[in-house]
Amino acid sequence: MPKITFIQQNGEKVVVEDAVGTLMEIATDNDVEGITGDCGGVCSCSTCHVYVTHDWQDRIGSADEIEMDTLDFNEHKKPNSRLCCQIELTDELDGLIVEVAPEE
Amino acid sequence: MQDYNDPFREARAKCPVLAAQHQGETIPMILRLKDVRKAAKDYTTFSSDAPRRVPIPSEEDVRTVRQYPLEVDPPVHAEYRKLVEPFFLRPKQPEVLAKIHSLIERLLTEACAADEIDIVKDFAIPLQSHALTYLLNVDEKEAELWISWGIHVFKDGDGKSKGPFMEKYSQQMFEAAEVNPGEDFFSALNQAEFQGRKLTMEEKLGYANIAFAGGRDTIIHTATRILKYFAENPKALECIREHPEMLNTACEEFFRLFIPLTHIGRVCPVKTDVHGHEVEAGDRVSLCWSSANRDPEVFEAPNEVRLDRKPNPHIAFGFGIHNCLGQHHARAIMRGIVQKLSESVASIEVTDQTELIEHEEDYSRKVGYEMLRAKFNAR
Ligand code: HEM
Ligand code: FES
Repeated sequence: MPKITFIQQNGEKVVVEDAVGTLMEIATDNDVEGITGDCGGVCSCSTCHVYVTHDWQDRIGSADEIEMDTLDFNEHKKPNSRLCCQIELTDELDGLIVEVAPEE
Repeated sequence: MQDYNDPFREARAKCPVLAAQHQGETIPMILRLKDVRKAAKDYTTFSSDAPRRVPIPSEEDVRTVRQYPLEVDPPVHAEYRKLVEPFFLRPKQPEVLAKIHSLIERLLTEACAADEIDIVKDFAIPLQSHALTYLLNVDEKEAELWISWGIHVFKDGDGKSKGPFMEKYSQQMFEAAEVNPGEDFFSALNQAEFQGRKLTMEEKLGYANIAFAGGRDTIIHTATRILKYFAENPKALECIREHPEMLNTACEEFFRLFIPLTHIGRVCPVKTDVHGHEVEAGDRVSLCWSSANRDPEVFEAPNEVRLDRKPNPHIAFGFGIHNCLGQHHARAIMRGIVQKLSESVASIEVTDQTELIEHEEDYSRKVGYEMLRAKFNAR
């Protein structure tokens, strides 16, 4: 089961062991600051915005068009931006580190 | 599978905007999802700094105050918004959510016990009014008066606006809270500091105005249409009962399709070319949320209800700067309705109805019901 690390805006880390579900669900279940997941994971609200750290970008992949468009015009959007409700956890993601993006 | 009619389908396929007549004013309506999102973020070109003219039709005849934070632009917008945000986040607190749930349970129990109810008058309006007392943290007794304001405070029933009455009532609430301060919305605004000063009564009334008016017909129509949907699709209720994980996706789908607010306005401060339409300085454009939510470039089978639609990048609550402050409240209520309904109601039979249609010269759009009589059968 994967272990996931969220780096919050305040620099503090939240580490979750044995994570299952989407990255957004894990973040909200563990009160990760800055991820509220308002729309419940349908790619509508962008309150689950994270940056994927460099080493993980290939394995995670980039956002599809719908996800990209939801992030469009977001002032904090970067090339490694993802809406983490769209990332389903698998064993391959063990050790994943993501950084929580600032609120809009 | 039932289809929900989309009045903008042809216009949107032909052109990114529909220059539509609204009470003698030509307002180009931006129809496609990507364009609406872009315009919603571009407040210098499409400004909300237009007291009483952000809603379409404009509300110059029905209220005297500017609504906060709806009718201001950045950077002051954020300062205005911050002052009331804690109240709008209250539905996320477990104890507030529990109150919303027991309110829904009570109304559903009453509905099942009665021979027949009017879903609008006997369910949706009391639900909206009582739930708003939890949001504003005021005595639940206040709901009785709000219930009498009807579906839409500004244009209901006898055709007379209750706007002036609502403003007077709000002023009394602020004055009473001054004498007897508490933890409520009115006291908080009395005490709030804005740029090193207190808010004026005009500003406070502007906050109250949108809390009462903006959160009213939107909740009432969405709730009513959800119940109508389940009356027509009893299997969907069963499906949710068996797959409670579909609660969220189902409600987002209802927000996408049943959005009561057709569109909202922005003002162009200078002459602007809007996808080929020239808009004069000071004139308005519309951000058409309801059309964007049916954009076939983004949504497969856009007129179908798909309870498990995901992704569902709708903009029922707007996009960007002014995104709806009441969305947590709306989500808590609608998810609560669907959950409690699936637990306690076997079926709903509609016996009579009057649809509420928004008629404009260039389109007609169903926004909800004036009356929806139905029988509720308990499980
Ligand atoms: C299904 C229900 C609702 C829908 C579809 C809805 C829709 C919207 C939309 C589209 C906007 C954006 C306006 C713009 O960009 O100019 C908005 C803003 C707003 N809504 Fe809602 N709304 C709903 C419920 C509520 C409720 C229940 C309340 C209050 C109790 C509320 C209060 C507000 C406020 C205060 C704003 C202005 C936010 C700002 O300017 O920063 N809404 N709403
Ligand atoms: S939770 Fe809303 S976009 Fe991810």
